[in-house]
Amino acid sequence: MRKVVNYFRSLLLWELFCGLALTGKYLFARKITVQYPDEKTPMSNRFRGLHALRRYPNGEERCIACKLCEAVCPALAITIESEQRADGTRRTTRYDIDLTKCIFCGFCEESCPVDSIVETRVFEYHGEQRGDLYMTKDKLLAVGDKFEKQIAEDRARDARYR
Amino acid sequence: MSNEVCFRLNDKDQSWSLKTYVANGGYEVWKKILRDKTAADDIISQIKASALRGRGGAGFPTGLKWSFMPRTAPGQKYIVCNSDEGEPGTCKDRDIMRFNPHQLVEGMAIAGYTLGATVGYNYIRGEFWEPYERMEAAIEDARKAGLLGKNVLGSGVDFDMHNHLGGGAYICGEETALLESIEGKKGQPRFKPPFPASYGLFGRPTTINNTETLASIPEILRHGGKWFLELGKPNNGGTKLFSVSGHVNKPGNYEVAMGMPFAELLQMAGGVRTGHKLKAVIPGGSSTPVLPANIIMDCTMDYDSLAKAGSMLGAGSVIIMDDSTCMVRALARLSHFYYEESCGQCTPCREGTGWLARVVHRVEHGQGRPEDLQLLEDVAKKIEGRTICGLGDAAAMPVASFVKHFRDEFQYHIEHKKCLVGGAH
Amino acid sequence: MLVTIEIDGKKVQARSGAMVIEAADELGIRIPRFCYHKKLSIAANCRMCLVEVEKAAKPLPACATPVTEGMRIFTKSRKALDAQKAVMEFLLINHPLDCPICDQGGECELQDVAMGYGRDVSRFAEKKRVVKDKNLGPLISTDMTRCIHCTRCVRFGEEIAGLRELGATGRGEHMEIGTYIEKAVQHELSGNVIDLCPVGALTNKPFRFSARAWEMRQFPTIAAHDCVGSNLNAHIGKNKVLRMVPRDNELVNETWISDRDRFGFEGVNSDDRLRVPMIKQNGQWKETDWTSALDFVATGLGKIASTSGVSEIGALCSPSSTVEEMYLLQRFIRGLGSGHVDHRLRQTDFSDQDAAPLYPSLGQSIEHLETVDAALVIGADIRRQQPLLAHRLRMAALDGANVMFLGSVGSTYQFPVAANVVVDPRCLTNELAGVAKALLKQASVNPPAGFAESAKAVQVSADHEAIAKALKGARNATVLLGTDAIHHPDLSTLRSLASLIAQLTDAKLGYMTEGANAAGAWLAGMVPHRGPSGSKGAPAGSPISEMLRQALKAYVLLGVEPDKDCGDVRAAMKAMRDANFVVALTAYQSPSLEQVAHVMLPVAPFTETSGTFVNAEGRWQSFAGAVAPQGDARPAWKVLRVLGNVMHIDGFEFMSSEEVRDELRTRVGNAHPDNKTRWHPPRPFVSVPQGFTRVTLVAPHSVDAIVRRSDALQQTTDAPTFAALVSDETARELSVREGQMVAMAQGGNEITMPVRLDARVPRGCVLVYAGQPGAEHLDPSATLTVRGI
Repeated sequence: MRKVVNYFRSLLLWELFCGLALTGKYLFARKITVQYPDEKTPMSNRFRGLHALRRYPNGEERCIACKLCEAVCPALAITIESEQRADGTRRTTRYDIDLTKCIFCGFCEESCPVDSIVETRVFEYHGEQRGDLYMTKDKLLAVGDKFEKQIAEDRARDARYR
Repeated sequence: MSNEVCFRLNDKDQSWSLKTYVANGGYEVWKKILRDKTAADDIISQIKASALRGRGGAGFPTGLKWSFMPRTAPGQKYIVCNSDEGEPGTCKDRDIMRFNPHQLVEGMAIAGYTLGATVGYNYIRGEFWEPYERMEAAIEDARKAGLLGKNVLGSGVDFDMHNHLGGGAYICGEETALLESIEGKKGQPRFKPPFPASYGLFGRPTTINNTETLASIPEILRHGGKWFLELGKPNNGGTKLFSVSGHVNKPGNYEVAMGMPFAELLQMAGGVRTGHKLKAVIPGGSSTPVLPANIIMDCTMDYDSLAKAGSMLGAGSVIIMDDSTCMVRALARLSHFYYEESCGQCTPCREGTGWLARVVHRVEHGQGRPEDLQLLEDVAKKIEGRTICGLGDAAAMPVASFVKHFRDEFQYHIEHKKCLVGGAH
Repeated sequence: MLVTIEIDGKKVQARSGAMVIEAADELGIRIPRFCYHKKLSIAANCRMCLVEVEKAAKPLPACATPVTEGMRIFTKSRKALDAQKAVMEFLLINHPLDCPICDQGGECELQDVAMGYGRDVSRFAEKKRVVKDKNLGPLISTDMTRCIHCTRCVRFGEEIAGLRELGATGRGEHMEIGTYIEKAVQHELSGNVIDLCPVGALTNKPFRFSARAWEMRQFPTIAAHDCVGSNLNAHIGKNKVLRMVPRDNELVNETWISDRDRFGFEGVNSDDRLRVPMIKQNGQWKETDWTSALDFVATGLGKIASTSGVSEIGALCSPSSTVEEMYLLQRFIRGLGSGHVDHRLRQTDFSDQDAAPLYPSLGQSIEHLETVDAALVIGADIRRQQPLLAHRLRMAALDGANVMFLGSVGSTYQFPVAANVVVDPRCLTNELAGVAKALLKQASVNPPAGFAESAKAVQVSADHEAIAKALKGARNATVLLGTDAIHHPDLSTLRSLASLIAQLTDAKLGYMTEGANAAGAWLAGMVPHRGPSGSKGAPAGSPISEMLRQALKAYVLLGVEPDKDCGDVRAAMKAMRDANFVVALTAYQSPSLEQVAHVMLPVAPFTETSGTFVNAEGRWQSFAGAVAPQGDARPAWKVLRVLGNVMHIDGFEFMSSEEVRDELRTRVGNAHPDNKTRWHPPRPFVSVPQGFTRVTLVAPHSVDAIVRRSDALQQTTDAPTFAALVSDETARELSVREGQMVAMAQGGNEITMPVRLDARVPRGCVLVYAGQPGAEHLDPSATLTVRGI
């Protein structure tokens, strides 16, 4: 019996029409393809993109060189050197993240007691020269300064879950 | 039937003078002991028969305490009188020293003789200047009369005593902190064991008794332990000084028989302030649990009855609160006291008293949170029984009892941000 | 007596009277604690170690509860955990929880215990306590808000240091740890409170914010500044020693180290480290490579040897060099054919050196010092020179021992001192003779030859009688010759008298030497009259005093700064300046070497080389380098080994420092020194010297090149000062006031210094620290005139 059914199915190109029906359905359905870079998908406020170092509103950098991020980083991508500043606080003299090592796990952000190192929503970045993806303290602070508004909003939205 | 032991001379003229005291049978016991060389065991058995219990608050049987002392051990031993009456609500020892100092001197001399101590110290609270002067005068008179010093009355017995004025710290009323203070150190309780009976003042065996306890000794030995026991009731021998304070018409010290119904004591003190109803009573000084009116009215004033009711006789400092009292405010005051008086040595008390005081203060000022009552009970429970000395317990017990008996008032403070009683603010 | 107890279901035998926590520790059951410390008294104030004990109504503190037969203890029962967690919560409510900016973070006892017993969220919504920081001086930094009032630091001061520098003031929540009146802590062991503090309230000031605990690696090493040889752990970050902490060794340093050992290492990171070999050409210093530098040395020494003879070559080394370095250095010089080697840079009297023991030893174990019942310490500021030996003696004194001091610089001791005789250094022998005289009389023994005549004028004072009596009456006595005695111009007499006293009282005679390795130096043959292991036959040479006087043509210096390390600085500098060729193996580019040397070879200090120190009790303690040498510096033993090869001397085929050590060790075998010295008749004793004299003291924080470069130590009160120190009495006699200038003249030289009053200085004496500019002109063994300006 099954043989007979299969014979007619093959003869009448049943499977072909089934396939075409699916194609047809998508021909008329709403398009889901995003025209990147003209269009962008919505993004979570917890998105883990390019790193940034933040400052307090008075311009003081947040980082206190506790080195927890350096210790927690599973890819050993963070290098910190610190010294005692004239006012007696400990500050970084060097804060480097090697983005080519980074696996964007977000542990650094989670371990930070002062919300200094954060991961922004920026994921479109590139380097043209060797070393461009080696983020130094200055570069990280610059990213932070540039996106501070967004960063602050994202942290505020996430605050109640932390 | 009152004022028979410690206050027996109160109605006499110049009751604190040696003349009055001797005229009323004073130092007879001391002289007799010196004459007869009474055996220490006999004295202790008399004390045991009298069922005298420590009047400082803990109520430990005095006879038993004395029997712990290694009386015959070689070397210096000490007898110390604790007159650091710092417990809020207590003012009895002060009056013994003011009106009957010689009886205390005689009591200490007898205790010293019994326990093999040749030196006694009377640690007097820092604020007690008048009692200190009376005691100094009494000791001086006794020395002049040959009743103290080397080879007293030719008996071969040595006993001398000294007053030590404290610096005004509540914690120095704790016996080992008191010893530290006499030694010239910061008044901080010692960890026990070792107990003072084996390692006390300057590392020597020491017995520490309350003023009232020691002042009762001469009368007990004069009339016999049985007489004293029969003044009170079984296991709660003798009379007791009650310092009645608060919302009564006639606050003051009352020496009455143990086991007197609370209602009668209240009557003696003139009853609750006119126009008000009794609300709560702290029966034994600030560190004992508070009892609401309905419970305390059924109690008699002795160790056992109050323990059964969930409180303690303590030092017999009866604090009466009428219906105008805001219990939250009362507790805030008490908690602040313990916060200030914690010595800071051990963690639960140092940190916990401050925490309790702050939370009660917050509740009282209308900033309480719903979880605060639970927190108070929990913190109090965490302090209790985990500290070196009793101050932690003393700070925790009022909190637990106030919240237990007057939960609604606390709740009202938290919910309505104001006082249920009104008048208080 | 043992009792059987049960902890968490495990049956264990414990010493009767031991505390529960000790028994649990032995069993490996960890009970959390803060105030308990095995070396301190029990306070039971933190309440963290509360445990449940069967039949006890309340939880009991394990640190203060003695074990009793059949006791059953539960450390992890519900009741115990409840109590421990409650205490943890209380401890944390007022703790700032500023771990990210706390130096203790990562090695904090509170942090560790909080991980196990703390809540995740605080219920404390009130304001936390804030405590103002105290300034405790240059060594200890404070963050008193973090204090949990365990009082370990307070108890350390009372019980170990003996100086109550820290105390608790205020009560309740207002209790604070501090000095009450602001002052720097001064005790030479005070740095130990840093280790004792379970939180970050007391931390290491020079180390502050240098690294996080987890970034560093730990290497065992040995302290290089005194003859105790404290065991250390060096903490290394980024190939740099960042701090030193003690390593437990009950036999040597227990768990303590002196401040000098803790902070002294800072000098190895000093900016003036020599990092490349340098050669002086036409008066100009030029950097060069090792090959040319070694060739330069070989050629230079070869030329001297061929033109003036090998006996024109001498070598001096610091007494803190390693055994290996000294062994190779003396082999190098002796291999060349000269016997002029010495390490006794500050010693001046060598007349009885042949009678000296195999090596100057303590004559007993360090531990044994705690059990003596009488000790006479001659010529030592023991607290500052050998702080941990002072600590051992303190323990003995607290146990009732009669500890007595006889010297030229007074000191205050934190224990009952049976006698403390401080005299003019010229009278030191006289005083000691007084003790000997008293002893001879008490023991009715015939005095040895020549004693009676020399000591005719010696008056026996009450002090002498007392010292003699105490030593005689002791079953277990010791006589110790300190650093100042060894440097004394009449060491031979002191040694002879001390030996006589020791013999008469059946006491152990001991030496407390300068540097980390004086014992090793004698064993390695770094003395002119004896080869390795005290052997004879090696070409004999002259001691340093002779070497300098003879003005040799060439000197090899190992770790020596001639203007700071030598006793006779004037002679040393002159001899070096006049020499044709001076080779300096040095870790530092020091100005004096730049002046006199012709070549400087950068060698590694103790943190960067492997080596061995032999401490005063004769304990060989080897260590490996903790970090790689800085720059082009090399371990000195390697430099000497290659130098031997370059100059074709036999016996330089070692591949490792262990080989060097093992060779010497085999030669030494089980040889033990016998400190007894043969009696030799002394010169007549002086009792009333004429005129003023200078007392020399090597400040505790200037004993060697490394310590001199430790910034933190130089800021302490124990740092040397440029001043003429006189007692109140002397100042009155001279009618000078503190701060006023005085001129001191001797042999045509006059130097001026400000006056400082110091009660330690005996009458008629002026103390000028060694190494101060101008001090070289004041010979301690001659009189000088002093006048106020």
